[in-house]
Amino acid sequence: MINFTINNQPVTATKGETILQAARKAGFYIPTMCYLEKTTPCASCRLCVVEVNTTDSLVLSCQTQPTQGLEVTLDSERLQRERTNIMRMYDVNHPLECGVCDKSGACDLQNKTLEFNIDSQHFTAKEQPRKTERWGLINYDPSLCILCEKCVHVCNEIIGDDAITLQFGGYKSAVIPKNSDKLDCTFCGECIAVCPVGALVSSDFQYQANTWELSPVPATCAHCSAGCSLTYEVKHTSIATGNEERIYRVTNNFEYATLCGAGRFGFDYDVQASKDTVAFEKAVSALRNAKAIRFSSIITNEEALILQNLKEKLGLKLFNEEARAYQMFMQAYASISGKSASSGTLDAIAQSDAIIVLGGRIATDNPGVRYAMTTAARHNGAKIIYMHPLEDTLLQNVVTQFVKYEAGSEEGVMAMLAKTLLADADLSDEIREFFNELDEGYLCAESNAGDEEFARIEKSLRRMKRKTLIIGSDVLTHERAQNIARLAALVEAYADFSLVIVPVNVNTVGVSLVCDLDQDENSAEVVGYNANGDFVIGAMCESDLTVPAMNGQEGTVVSMNHQLLPTNVAIGFEGYCLNDLANALGLRRLNTIDYTAQLPKTKGFKAIAFDKVGNFYGALGEDNRGYRLETLDVPVNGALEEIAELPEFNGTVVYRCNPVNQFNIYTAHTTQLERDAALRGSAQFAAAARIGNGDRVEVQSNGNIEMRTFVLDESLKGTIALSPTFDEKFGAMNERYRFEKIKIMRVGS
Amino acid sequence: MSKVYFSTWRGEQINNIGKPEEQWEVSAYNLPADYNEHAHSKAFIGWDGLALFNPDVDVVRLAAEYAAQYQVYSEACGRCAPGRWGGRILYDLLDKIARGEGAVSDMDHLKEVSKTMQETSKCEIGKTVPTPLLDLMHHFEAEFMDCINNQKASKHYHMQDTNYIAKITAPCMDACPAHVDIPAYIEGVRDLRFDDSLMATRQTMPLAHTCGRVCPHPCETECRRTNLDEPISIMELKRLGADYEIDHGFGFFHPAQQKPLNGKKVAVIGSGPAGLTGAYYMALEGIDVDVYEELPVLGGEVAVGVPEYRMPIDRYNQDIKAVRDLGVTFITNTRVDADMMRQFESDYDAILVATGTRISKKVYCENERADIQGYWGAIDFLDKVNLEVKYGIMVPEVDQKKHMLEKDYVDLTGKTVVCVGGGFTSMDVVRCSIRANAKKVVMIYRRDEKTIINNTTYEEYHEAVEEGVEFIFHSAVAEMRDENNVLKSLLIDRFELVPDPNGGRPTLEKIEGASFEMECDYLIPAVSQSADLKLIPEEWEIERTSWGTIKTNGKDYMTSRKGIFAAGDCEYGPMTIVNAVGQAKRASSVISRYVQDGQIVLLDNEIMEDHLRRLKVYNKKEKVTGWLPGLPREHSEVLTADERKYNNKEVKYGFTQEQAISEAERCMRCYYIAMVAH
Repeated sequence: MINFTINNQPVTATKGETILQAARKAGFYIPTMCYLEKTTPCASCRLCVVEVNTTDSLVLSCQTQPTQGLEVTLDSERLQRERTNIMRMYDVNHPLECGVCDKSGACDLQNKTLEFNIDSQHFTAKEQPRKTERWGLINYDPSLCILCEKCVHVCNEIIGDDAITLQFGGYKSAVIPKNSDKLDCTFCGECIAVCPVGALVSSDFQYQANTWELSPVPATCAHCSAGCSLTYEVKHTSIATGNEERIYRVTNNFEYATLCGAGRFGFDYDVQASKDTVAFEKAVSALRNAKAIRFSSIITNEEALILQNLKEKLGLKLFNEEARAYQMFMQAYASISGKSASSGTLDAIAQSDAIIVLGGRIATDNPGVRYAMTTAARHNGAKIIYMHPLEDTLLQNVVTQFVKYEAGSEEGVMAMLAKTLLADADLSDEIREFFNELDEGYLCAESNAGDEEFARIEKSLRRMKRKTLIIGSDVLTHERAQNIARLAALVEAYADFSLVIVPVNVNTVGVSLVCDLDQDENSAEVVGYNANGDFVIGAMCESDLTVPAMNGQEGTVVSMNHQLLPTNVAIGFEGYCLNDLANALGLRRLNTIDYTAQLPKTKGFKAIAFDKVGNFYGALGEDNRGYRLETLDVPVNGALEEIAELPEFNGTVVYRCNPVNQFNIYTAHTTQLERDAALRGSAQFAAAARIGNGDRVEVQSNGNIEMRTFVLDESLKGTIALSPTFDEKFGAMNERYRFEKIKIMRVGS
Repeated sequence: MSKVYFSTWRGEQINNIGKPEEQWEVSAYNLPADYNEHAHSKAFIGWDGLALFNPDVDVVRLAAEYAAQYQVYSEACGRCAPGRWGGRILYDLLDKIARGEGAVSDMDHLKEVSKTMQETSKCEIGKTVPTPLLDLMHHFEAEFMDCINNQKASKHYHMQDTNYIAKITAPCMDACPAHVDIPAYIEGVRDLRFDDSLMATRQTMPLAHTCGRVCPHPCETECRRTNLDEPISIMELKRLGADYEIDHGFGFFHPAQQKPLNGKKVAVIGSGPAGLTGAYYMALEGIDVDVYEELPVLGGEVAVGVPEYRMPIDRYNQDIKAVRDLGVTFITNTRVDADMMRQFESDYDAILVATGTRISKKVYCENERADIQGYWGAIDFLDKVNLEVKYGIMVPEVDQKKHMLEKDYVDLTGKTVVCVGGGFTSMDVVRCSIRANAKKVVMIYRRDEKTIINNTTYEEYHEAVEEGVEFIFHSAVAEMRDENNVLKSLLIDRFELVPDPNGGRPTLEKIEGASFEMECDYLIPAVSQSADLKLIPEEWEIERTSWGTIKTNGKDYMTSRKGIFAAGDCEYGPMTIVNAVGQAKRASSVISRYVQDGQIVLLDNEIMEDHLRRLKVYNKKEKVTGWLPGLPREHSEVLTADERKYNNKEVKYGFTQEQAISEAERCMRCYYIAMVAH
């Protein structure tokens, strides 16, 4: 603890905290234009200068740590004068187009100009002609840019794209794409979010609305299990039609949270319907006659609870293979760890100095995990070991060791990994015996992950203090998932690792806790709820009964962090919803959110009504979104099983994984996101499958046949192709193991 | 001492205006009064004032040109609001006045902007650019007002009679013999842009891994942060960029796109730091380079001299790979002789000799004979140790016999080793002897503890003590005693420092009767090394220095024979890695032009570099403001003596990322712009 004073008031700072951070915590205001809490200080605006007693000149508060007994002054005539002059400089030749600028009303430059009372241009400099850049979803106007560098910092330090850089040139400086003429990035749009002025804007939103006309709706992103916070900004589309509303854009609390491109640009998947009583009655009777309901995890906890209640009431079965796989994985995990949930969170990943990822194409599966890994890599110099059958170029600048293994060999790899990590652990004789008896020669040979790789892992983790193991979703649907879960539980318990398990969907965790799931028998008389079935109730116009999509739902979800998060209705829905059906079938609740307080306490939920659940970040970044579920003690009754023979995946194999910013049928329905649904493979794959770039191919797997265009992707290696799932009707990437042998036939080009 | 007409440099106030030239007061500083052999300077202007060498300088234009340089030096600016806009405003207003369109209010605005820049800019450029401009506006106000009041252009405004040559520098960059852009690579660490960091280092220093570990870092002695609290740990921060490149398998971050081959060929003799550096930058320029190496392994003394525990070979090999990546050809196991040199002169467009100093000098004692067994030169000793440790090349039988080794590697179990030295090489000898399991290791040094620390580093000395090396200060070997040509003991004289009664330097005098005999098995002289120049054909009559190295002018590194260049220890005498890198970098620049047109020319940038080094950028007396004093320097973790004593594990772990970032945040970015008008 460092004790010092600000404006004569005693203040404390922890080691590593800057004067600015300590001041803000203590409620003092220091103006900034370039400061972003989640990145290293850009130190470019210089507004945050303060006076201190140990040196005559001004000191920059954003990057200076206080010393014991320091006396800091935040406001004086001298500071006011210099800050005012800086603002005068910022205003030199800044285009006077606030009337049409997107940022007007929420612009830091505008705010500070008013704050410092700059009413005319005090200094002059020669005007320079500057051209607006169009980079797809993002437009950049250098004449509006104040070169605060926030965008550059966030792109490199948090996102990991490292796609933009500052072109140095004094007055002529500008933000430019790094090592490329065109912006080549994952289009997360975080640069737009952090831009304090109107320089970086969404090309879709530009000139569409003023900030003050938009109504904010705080919500939770529905596209993956990270559960990121976002705000839908809604406005009527015209004065004439009045009440017709649409989502104009999505914003986020960029100071403390981060959002990917799907969250930011993939928002218009809402559906609309009227109260179609005929379809409603058909749905009621379909449910009444159904043997089972098949449903997806892209629903709220409240909908899940309604389904569970329907199961009990009507004696139905509930099918959701993806959530069931996660449920069984967690049961196996709990049987060793004695806890209902693992310790790790996205925050734990970001704080780590060593991370091992096993079994998932994590960067596109879950951008939240990727950003946490980037944060750890940049800020903590984390060693990041990525274990997967396919290398991922998106991760190259964070991964320090890539370990390739053969598809299907996850159990063997996990066993070898656990043995490596637990070498010095205080294990029971029985477990030690298990590891001693592993047939390492066989496991290394069949998985193709050599012992030198594990030796290197051991070496690079040797001095690390905050370690995290991330289990990707490939593992969850692996035939031997449960034994892998047990091994992962041992690593968490005995090797001082945080454990993060990454399910696929926004509410896989919630569904797995709320619903008692049955094995999908593929039988007849199944009603689909946002899933395939003989009668489909879903958030799609072509469903037999259309219900609201996630951005039209009020309710809660449980993220991969085991945190309950509320979400709200962006656009009102005129048709029927699941609660209406449930009420018609004899359940009695006025609103869906009446179920929030009923969520099962035996699974860690709290009896808190929806309206009492918070959904905001505090001024200093305190996470006031929902609550973290209680982790419950469960009996330890599991035991490791012998490692099964490792399966072989020879021949033509695809890996089901989606391109950047695509996740599911909902993202596929949005207008801004790219929809590249090609089958992508390496030259080696093309040669083996006897197909070429641009060919139309027929892919046969597990009884399904789909048509795809094949694209030869130079960045890929090896014999496994990437096959997207987002464009399949209600297709879930994770109903079964993600690697699959297929038959492929060229049908045209 | 320079002759000036007017000077405000470093606070001096010399005003010879109106005085006859013979009465001119001279400046106390080495200002660049002569730009080069062809041109006298008219003015020098920089971060700490200005000097005029001649009465006819257009001071208004000078001010405008200096402000313009701030705009030109894009590599350093554009990073903060006051600098970016303030710099532009300064230039626009000064140029407006200079072309005869200024207003009185412009002078006020200039002062106002200057003040804000001085108070709030991010780096020293922004803070110091206004300094000489305010000096000019103050001392020559009449000339500015003349332009304003009469709306006329300044006296030379429309003439093209003056060249304005500017150079960006910093105290650390100036002190570094390789002039590495240190603030840029530290900024790369601070901004977590490690690729940028490495590319900044590689602009003038290809051996980023090496000089992130074993550089004696003269830059840290001239780090401006010293004036405030403690110097930045500059050296170690170099490792972050280098490690980033390795960790992510990106290939190599070269500082510039390699030029296509231009048909010119250069031979480099020696693959040590100088040879590698020369090869690297010539290859970047599109020259086809062949490097000849006498040993079976590449890297020179850093490979076979510097031990593994200080400089892991896998990291050095990474630096060597970066050179190889540019297509340089390496020819090992080839000792170049005079005949080959004669042949090379016709085969190649130029030759760079970088053979180092590999002959261990004698200690000059009684009975010092090379044929006594147990007398083992430091260079050869370290060769044998390192070839085995790093490459698994065992000691040949003939050498085993000669050095009384029972095994085919250097195992000193049960032996007593005495080393005479005091520099890095001797430290390497004693610490390697500990690792070779010697019973007792003694360092004999003529001077005291403080001097040995100065000559090496504090860490190096203390680590050796921790590992069990016994230091005997103020001592020297007087005689080697042998039995049948096998070393048995040494006679050691003791000395004391006797103050000079006249106030001069104290002298070392032998203490009579204090000499003693010490039994030992090996005496390893590591006093100094000399150059082996047998490869130079005698008829070339290449000039030598009085200490037996190749002579050049220390600027372009050409020897007295056209087309033959020399850099590194064989030119300078035994010195540091970074000195070799700096010399070879300059030599390669000169050679890359020489092979095109046969001219020996220095770039303006290089001329300025030399001027600034003479002037010295760092000012020990400067009072540093704008930064909070008292933030301690970070120290990276070190293996304990027990963990490191009997193995070759790298002693220093290097910074954690957290340490590196907080260390980088202490850097004050002391960039300065200097400009000469001639």
